[in-house]
Order: sequence, then structure tokens, then C-alpha cells
Amino acid sequence: MKQPSNKALVAIGTLVSSLFLIWSSIANGQVSDGPSYEDLLNGFSDPTRWLTYSGDYSGTRHSPLTQITPDNVDQLRPVWTFQTGTTTRGRGFETTPLVDNGVLYVTGSNNYAWAIDARTGRAFWQYRRDLPNDLTYGASAPVNRGFGMLGNQLFMVTLDAHLMSFDRRTGDVLWERELADYQVGYSATMAPLVLDNKVIVGISGGEYQTRGFIDAFDPVSGERIWRFNTIPGPGEPGSETWPDDPAILAAGGGGAWMNGSYDPDLNLIYWGVGNPNPDYYAENRPGDNLYSNSIVALDANSGELRWHYQFTPHDINDWDANHVPVLANIEWQGEPRRVVMVGNRNGFFYLLDRVTGQLLLGKPFTATTWAREIGADGRPIVLNDGSQGCLPDPWGSTNFYPPSFNPDLDLFILTARETCATYVPEEPANTRGRSNNGGTVFIDAEQGYGALRALDIHTGDLEWEFTYPSPTFGGVMTTASGLVFAGDHEGNFMAFNAETGENLWHYQTGSRIWGAAAMTFMQDGLQYVLIPSGSTLTAFALP
Amino acid sequence: MLAWLASAGSASAQAVNPLQSDPRAAGAGGSIFRAQCATCHGADAKGIEAIDAPDLTLIWIRSETTDESVFQIIRNGIAGSVMPPHGFPDAQVWMLVSYLRSVGAVGTVNRIVGDVSRGSELFNDNCSRCHRVDGTGGSLGPDLSSITSRRALDVLFSSIRNPSASIARRYKPVSFRTAENERVQGTIKSEDVFSLQVMDSNQTLRGFIKTELSELTRDGQSLMPAFPENLLSESEINDIMSYLQSNSDR
Repeated sequence: MKQPSNKALVAIGTLVSSLFLIWSSIANGQVSDGPSYEDLLNGFSDPTRWLTYSGDYSGTRHSPLTQITPDNVDQLRPVWTFQTGTTTRGRGFETTPLVDNGVLYVTGSNNYAWAIDARTGRAFWQYRRDLPNDLTYGASAPVNRGFGMLGNQLFMVTLDAHLMSFDRRTGDVLWERELADYQVGYSATMAPLVLDNKVIVGISGGEYQTRGFIDAFDPVSGERIWRFNTIPGPGEPGSETWPDDPAILAAGGGGAWMNGSYDPDLNLIYWGVGNPNPDYYAENRPGDNLYSNSIVALDANSGELRWHYQFTPHDINDWDANHVPVLANIEWQGEPRRVVMVGNRNGFFYLLDRVTGQLLLGKPFTATTWAREIGADGRPIVLNDGSQGCLPDPWGSTNFYPPSFNPDLDLFILTARETCATYVPEEPANTRGRSNNGGTVFIDAEQGYGALRALDIHTGDLEWEFTYPSPTFGGVMTTASGLVFAGDHEGNFMAFNAETGENLWHYQTGSRIWGAAAMTFMQDGLQYVLIPSGSTLTAFALP
Repeated sequence: MLAWLASAGSASAQAVNPLQSDPRAAGAGGSIFRAQCATCHGADAKGIEAIDAPDLTLIWIRSETTDESVFQIIRNGIAGSVMPPHGFPDAQVWMLVSYLRSVGAVGTVNRIVGDVSRGSELFNDNCSRCHRVDGTGGSLGPDLSSITSRRALDVLFSSIRNPSASIARRYKPVSFRTAENERVQGTIKSEDVFSLQVMDSNQTLRGFIKTELSELTRDGQSLMPAFPENLLSESEINDIMSYLQSNSDR
């Protein structure tokens, strides 16, 4: 028997080892390509990619791309429009697409999802989840805010409170796990936060008989690694801010329905928590009601609480703190500081030390009469609980739609809402599967308007604003070339000069921009900017 | 057969509101409404335009609206919209239906005493340039074909005597000068930061770019002239109302 040559042996060995690699990657469910955790850590460093909801872990939504500038943005024109064929009447198309290697990964209303050719807007595949016909809508509306991605896996949460994993090449479902019972009122809408070997998701349903949580899952096995309950259990730290009643704690609300941000050096995730349940009626929940309306800093490995800060103690206005926490390393009063910034639904801009949770600055960015300053104890000095005239409405002075931070100008840019509402609490029935607003809100629609506002992060002072005709739900993206992209309730997608607030360009998309912010990437040498609106996703580039 | 199909389509709903003669139902339904529905539909059930939540006081004007159709919408929601299905017990859904009946826009129930043919002439002389009835007339103001079944008589009287006191959305007045130096008056049909969509006083729909306009004012005075006693007497207005009522009866 002829012996194989050394060369052949090497070739066979290579073949065997590559077969083994393929086999082991299949057997382990591991990925052979697609973005790694290192790629996610590197954020915006590859200009052809946008790999997480905010583009990187910091939540600044500030792209380094500079092809489109204040000087040429007036030439921006649509390249293609993708029609989703599904919509959420009365709300919006709230997703942020991800892009890798020329393919967009997009989620839509009613748990549709697509892979789309970034050059042409043509879909490679479409997914639609068969949803139960008795949804409780703990999410308020059948929306979704985007995928998480790692390797060849995509992760999406569902309206019936599941976490799903897909093969990004086919849209095939790899696994799904129930987060909680949707029939109670749990739901999920946020874009999963993907870390190294963890997929982190938060739950919706704070208007129902729910207890909020943040979960970490193993991306390969789909097994849950840890859970942080946003409402403490009896006897746990924080439970002293509630009545001594396990039933009230077990239905305390505190949804965690927006994305968190991540500091890999501190290995902490930062996450906003929503309103206590019920929203407006608070007779049965005296106390601060931790960790509702707070930001929590959690150890990413264990889910243990490191610190928290409560923006709105004992909330009675549905002013959730479900915002993208914006992380930055800045110079603060002459010293370098690692900070987290939040433009909050209660009308205040906050800047906190993200290592310790110490409050450095809290200042109103609207005309709210609820409070005008934060006391030395870190608590708002409440001037108007609603008995002294109208308050901002339950959608708040801003909402979950992303703000952006421009580090070159030290400007925090957000969409503000000026509104006037009267709250009349009423004891709710507290029924499983039924929302629990606990009262009625009378909104004076004649008095509302919206504004894009740029705040100096060192003072909270307003640097510039651009006003919109009505209270607006559009998010914000900034670029290193000094542009701000934003959208309004009348459907305009717009570009502004980040230094001055001057409007430089607009395009009427045909439907309000609601809950979405733009994203951008390079493709074939062109900088693309994408915005979801209504049932369409439109891509723009220079000629 | 139709009734059988309707009941077969929903095992739990009855075609007729079983609580329709219960005077407590509307009150109880109101409590449920304020707790469960008012965030979107407004505490007065008149809807919130910004989120496309419709005015529920107007649903009964459509002839196809029945107690059962309202029951089914509450029960099943409207797919693909923010309106969710509701798992309330049947009795509570019927209470909501009773409540919505109770707040439904009520027009003039009584027969208006007036001269219909004289009212028709007065309408043609004073109103029809801007208001349509039964397909004829102008479009600058609202169609009045069924107005008496939607608005109480005293409300209609005050709209004629003092039209600027309350101007409906989509009829807000505006005036400006164009780049071509044309003076335009009209009503705002829609508006965004950059543009204005107007019906001008010639009843032509026109779009404008705001930066091309000057002297833009919204003075709050309705384009509809006021009709004091010396222009239209009370009996003449009654004649017009009786004409409009006779029209909406058809």
C-alpha cells in the first residue's frame, strides 16, 4: 500500500482540521463569520458597519463619518425606499437598522424582520412571527426597535415577550425563550444589547400587573445567565421604599423597555427603568418606589446592582426613565470624568459620574413647572405636583427616542416636548392582563409644540433650538462633520448645523418620524444615511 | 341569516347590548373608559389627533356603526394599530358601549320649526358659496348635510352669530403675500416646519414654501363672516336650520 506523500498528508490534515472546525462550529452553534465581540467593542471603527442599536456601546449616536458635511448636505437625495408592508397606526417605525458587509438587518412593526441589500433596498429574506391573537400589548403598541447581532446570529425580542435568535443568512429561527407570560401584560420591544457571550434584554409592561426585569442570556445555548428585578422583593434593599406588601411589590411595574449602554472598562451596563404601577394612582404605593424611574448600573457578569439614581421619586405622571444612557469621558471642572448623561422624561438633563453614580448636574431643559432644581440631597425640589397648573403630559418632556452627544462641541442634542396636561388619579381595578393607568389625563392640545434642543453639557444651558409645530417623537444622530440629523411629527427628516442649529436640508418622508433616529455607514465609497418613517425605510446619499 | 353569521363569528358577543336599558351601565362604562381608554382617546372620548386616536363621540353618525360592531372593535382591537384587543368580561365591554352611546354626538332631536323652502333660499343666498349640502355648494367651510344631527341648535346659532369664537381644526384662517406679490387668504389644511397647505378663498388647494411667503398672519378671525340679527333674523336662521334638518332626514 502506497504511503501518501508528506504533502498529501499535510493537505489531508488541513482538510481534516478545517472539517473539524466546521463541524465543531456547527456542533457548538458558534459562528464562522460576522461581527465578533471585538468588533462590537470597536464600535464605529469600521465605517461600513453599524452593529448595535446606537452604533457603539456608548449610546452617543455620534458617527465619525464626514463625507456629508454642512456645506454639501443640501445635495443629499434619496437612493431607495424599502416598503415594509406593515405598520403601527398611531405610533411609528421605531427601529434602528444594523449593517454589516452590505446587508441591513431590520426589524419592524408586528414582529416582522428583514435582511435588505444596502445598495438597492431589495430584501434577501423576510420573517413574520405568528403572534397570538390575545396579545396584551404591555408594549403599548406593536413596535420593535431593532436587532442585536453577534457572528451570524441575530437577536430580537417579541410582543409576546420572547427572545429569539436567528441565522442572519436565512432568517431561520435558531432558538427562542420565553421572557415572561404575555397574558399577564409582559411584552418586549427593545433592541437586545449584545456583549461577550451575553444577550441582555429588558421587559415592557409597566402599566400592567407586572414586575420589571433585565435578563442576560447565553447567545449560543439560549440559557438565562442572570436576572435583575427592577422592583425589589420583600426584605431586599429598596423594598423599604414600598409598602410592606409582597403583592404590591410583585406588581410594582418598572419596565426596562429601552436599550442600555455598556462600559467595557468598568464592565457595567447602564439601564433606565420605567414607571411604578399604577401610573397615576399612588395611594397604595407610598414611598420612593425604587427602582422605578431610575438609572441602574449593573455588573455585566452577575447582574448585581452597583449603584442607582432615581430621577423621579414616587412618580405619579408616567415619567419613565427609559432612555438610552449616553456615556462619555469628558473634562468636568478641570478633571477627567467618566460620565453618563440622560435627558429625562421629567424635563431635566442629568450628568452623573458613571463610576459612582454621583450627580454632577441636573437642570431643566423645558419650561416644566414640576421642578426647577435638584436639591443638595440629589432629589428634585417639587414645586408643582399638578395642583399648581398643568404639567408635562405622560409622554414627557422627551421620551425614549435617542438623543445624541457631539464630543467636539460638548453638546447634548435631544428632541424636547412642551405640553400641558392635568392628571386626575382614580383607583384602578388591578386585573391580570389589563393595563392600569390609574386615572385620566386631560391634555391641552392647543398648547403643545416640539423642539430640537442643544444643551451645553457643562451647564445644561440651551445653546440653540429649532422649534417644530407639534410635540415630536423623532430621535437624533450627529456626525463628526458637524451635522445633526433629526425628524419631526409632520414627517420631515432634516439636517442641521450642530454648531448653530441652522436647518440645512429636509425631506418630507410622508409619515411622522416616531421613535426612530437615523443611522449611517459607508457603502461603495458613499456615505448612506437611513431613516425609518411610517412603513418605509429610506436611504439617502450625495449624488 | 346575517344575524346568524354575525353571532357565529363571535361566540361571546350578542348582537344587541344586553345593558341598553340599564341606566347604570353608561356610568360604569365611563369609569372603565377613563381608566383604560382615555390615555389615547382623551378623557372626553373626543380623540387625540397626534396619535390618530379617533373622536369616539362621532362613531354613531356612520350608519354602519352598531352596538355589536363597537363591541367587536373593543374586543378584537384593530390589527396593525395601536388599538389593542381587550380581554374584559363581556359585561364590561357592553358597559363601554353604553358609555360611548351616552357621549355620542347628539344633534337636534326635536323638529325645528321653520319654513323649509325659505330656508333653502336663504341658504343659497348666504351660505352655499362656502358650504355644501347634499353635494352642491362650496368647500371652504364644512359640509353641512347632516350637521343638525351632530350639533345642538344653540351651538349652530352661535356659530352663525359669532363664527370666530370656535374655529374647527382644518379651518383655521391664514393670510400672507406670495413671492409673486399675490395676497392670499385661506384656511390651513396642513402645515409643517417648511411648508403650508392651504385652501385659498377661491376654494383652490395650494401648497406654499414658507420661506417664499411674507406678512404671514393667523389673526384668529374666521373666514366666515358673522351674521348679526340685522343680516339674518332668528326666524330666518330657524328657516335655514329646518331646511338643513329636512335634508339630513333624507
